[in-house]
Amino acid sequence: MIELLRREPVHRVLSLVLGVVFVFASHDKILDPVAFARIVYYYRLLGPNAEIPPFVANAWAVTLPWIELVAGGLLILGTGRDVWRREAAAVCGALLVIFIAAVGYAMAQGIDLRNCGCFSLDGEGRSAGLMLIAGDLGLLAMAAVLALLPPRPAQGKGGAQSPS
Amino acid sequence: MKPLRIALIVLGGAAAGLAGNAVHPTGLELGRNAFLRQGDEVIPVAEAKVRHERGALFLDARGRMFWEMARIPGSVNLPDEDFDRAFAALEPQLRARFDLVVYCSGYGCEASHKVAERLRDKGIHAAIVEEGFPAWQDAGYPTEQGAPIGFWRRDELGASPAGAPSGNATSSAPAPPA
Repeated sequence: MIELLRREPVHRVLSLVLGVVFVFASHDKILDPVAFARIVYYYRLLGPNAEIPPFVANAWAVTLPWIELVAGGLLILGTGRDVWRREAAAVCGALLVIFIAAVGYAMAQGIDLRNCGCFSLDGEGRSAGLMLIAGDLGLLAMAAVLALLPPRPAQGKGGAQSPS
Repeated sequence: MKPLRIALIVLGGAAAGLAGNAVHPTGLELGRNAFLRQGDEVIPVAEAKVRHERGALFLDARGRMFWEMARIPGSVNLPDEDFDRAFAALEPQLRARFDLVVYCSGYGCEASHKVAERLRDKGIHAAIVEEGFPAWQDAGYPTEQGAPIGFWRRDELGASPAGAPSGNATSSAPAPPA
């Protein structure tokens, strides 16, 4: 199984899928930073509140989508040939861990997130829930394969000694 | 895997984000609360208390259940999520006032801003309590609980009888300080 995941064609497909998801996710947020900032506020993790000024959540709302775009764009390029593919996947993986933690936090706090702010920012967005976490875990698995199990140079099976 | 590349992806993306926002026609003002709309008047809770004592009418933009659990004394429920119905019942009362104050559950709550905006669209101005109901409670100001019977009846009958004796003291004149 692990050997199968270490094949270059598998990595190209995973890279394309993850890259498209991240570029797609960045689109609406880049177009409407104010709407995305409001959704970030709803999580009540980065403020604003009595202690945390609006700058923190605003900075996150403004920079996150572009990080998604850069990482996702590199992954799409990585479909053709490897352009920082592992590093871009690692960034996506780290973001997914943050997303899962944030949604889990909101659910634990009983915050009713009608729109998780994952893709769409209007009322059509997905609500935050277990299905969302499951989807994120799937994406996280893909990112983990890309980042942690780089493909072996094309050669026959059995060469278990190739360096990581 | 090279950590430098990871740092470049993150920092490059962040820099692009800040630059993109700066040139964005409807970009985010980084130091400002994004819930704020043009025309919002936001007042601190101490100012809200002063206006309450002067007899301002308070509007609770939270859902009905929260309003019943605890609210600023004398406040009427005008939830964002059920705005049209609640507004229809309250409109004459709201139009007769010039001193409206709307609140919800604090910093993470957008409902008061949305209600203020909807009222503004109808030509009615309402100030927004900046830190909302939690700050009111934290300051030790009085609150009241429960569903006033008159409110329930009027609401459940649907059509509000014209000239109904405004149900009870709670929903019309500001209640005497509890």
